[in-house]
Amino acid sequence: MAIPGGDFSQFDISKEEKDKLVAEVIRYILFKTHQNSGCPIKREELSQLVTKNYRHRSLPAYIINQAKEKLSSIFGYELRELQRSRPSSTNQTRLSQQSGVDAKSYVIISQLPAEVYKKYVEDVNTSHMTGFTFVVISIVQLAGGKIASDNLWHHLKRMGLHETNENHPVLGNVKQALEMLVQQRYLQKDKVSGPEGATLFYELAERALEGTVSERIKQYITQIVKKDSTTEDIS
Amino acid sequence: MAVLSWKHHTLIQSLLERGPLTEKEFHSIFTAITGQNPGTHQGKFNDYLLKINRELSYVQLDLRACRDPYDGRVYYGVVNNVSDEQSKFGTKYSVPQIAFFKAIVEAIAQDATAEGCICNMDVLNIRLENQVLNSSRSQSQDGSLGIPAAFRNFTMSQKERTLDQLVKDKWLCYTEDDNIGVGVRSVLDLRGWFNNAGVPSCEVCNEAGLKAKLCPNEGCTVRIHQYCLKKIFSQKGVIVCPSCETQWEYQPPKAEPVELEDEETEPTQSQSSLRMKRKRQRVSQNDDSNTVGGSSQVDTKRVTRSSAHLR
Repeated sequence: MAIPGGDFSQFDISKEEKDKLVAEVIRYILFKTHQNSGCPIKREELSQLVTKNYRHRSLPAYIINQAKEKLSSIFGYELRELQRSRPSSTNQTRLSQQSGVDAKSYVIISQLPAEVYKKYVEDVNTSHMTGFTFVVISIVQLAGGKIASDNLWHHLKRMGLHETNENHPVLGNVKQALEMLVQQRYLQKDKVSGPEGATLFYELAERALEGTVSERIKQYITQIVKKDSTTEDIS
Repeated sequence: MAVLSWKHHTLIQSLLERGPLTEKEFHSIFTAITGQNPGTHQGKFNDYLLKINRELSYVQLDLRACRDPYDGRVYYGVVNNVSDEQSKFGTKYSVPQIAFFKAIVEAIAQDATAEGCICNMDVLNIRLENQVLNSSRSQSQDGSLGIPAAFRNFTMSQKERTLDQLVKDKWLCYTEDDNIGVGVRSVLDLRGWFNNAGVPSCEVCNEAGLKAKLCPNEGCTVRIHQYCLKKIFSQKGVIVCPSCETQWEYQPPKAEPVELEDEETEPTQSQSSLRMKRKRQRVSQNDDSNTVGGSSQVDTKRVTRSSAHLR
């Protein structure tokens, strides 16, 4: 029914086989996303689904692209690619030199307009995590993209979120909630060795650094600060 | 040339993100985004669903409706049709938890009285070892009997926690009399399984008759859902068994609590505040319900249990 995107005859597989592979990749993405609560899926995992049975070298890329198109046309989900890079966190070099292999990973993001999503799609039972995510990312961003663990918890304490609290009425285990943000690649952890031993730092990771997200966060922060006529000094 | 528009996508995503929705909620979303009520524009609604399902079939998924066995309400959900390597990832439950769930569903399905539920105590006493004997593919390192340690060590508190989570996720539900019944997700997803497990179907709608009325004639195996009986009764004024021609006694069900319906389907903007409120209500009401008996408590239980979540 649909005109196949691109010419797959070069891959020597039938349309049915191609469709089957694309469907498998899409299903994998959907089920895995549910299982790991939105943590990014590595490109390797998707490629493996293809290379398991087929050896043509550029087939995985083609299939993943097809899956991207179908996810958008069937579900209205964007398959967003995140570039995982670990910039050097030492103080000497400010160059974002990528040490190690760039691993691409994917998350699915709804393409619906924000008002529509909020009204009909959003699961209110997970809004607390969204709120928490926003607050934490904002704090780290205002701190310049990187913040010492102690400092972060100092700010969270002001909202009643304590590192040792395992029974917060909304978030449950607060430390685990923060850990979730690391797994979802909004933050990454870094141990920096200093004169007084190693300090744990939280840094913004690919999901929070991604263009649209970063821009929107800045906008929202500006909105909040503008509305707030009384600002307290954060010592 | 896109086949599905953002409106179709909204319907699909709402079910994927929020889980099964009642007919009322689903219809209200449809009405809000298309400006047309499915009640009056049945054709358009069906057309939407047909288009959606044609696309979803590419990935072996299906948007379908089912009836809650206990109150007859219609629910919509997106269901997986094929059990393959990918769908095995689609769960956060561990292997023993799934075995526990399977045992519960089996016990409910095998209930000869078609009550469609089992009591809490029986659930907690379920032994997972029996699950292993039934499944043929259990290969454990212990060799011999092949009962994994995780099954043997599945504690009572783990069972309780799993039960809570299963109810929260709508695989199971609490029935009026505090028993455990199948939840909406199970009814949507496990239709094939119930048929294979030999659960007799309702004579009227041909869906699994988990919770149904049995023919008063003891030799007759006919069962019919309460809500299906209601339909026949309103059409014919009398119920006669299609198989053995015995007349059935029919009692109209308890009056539907209309106020509760409205409470449950508040406009979506105030969803979050309503649920937070209900969560708090529920916590205090659970304490009360232990000490106070009586029919008034039954009604409040229905309010707090039918759509609120445990945590």
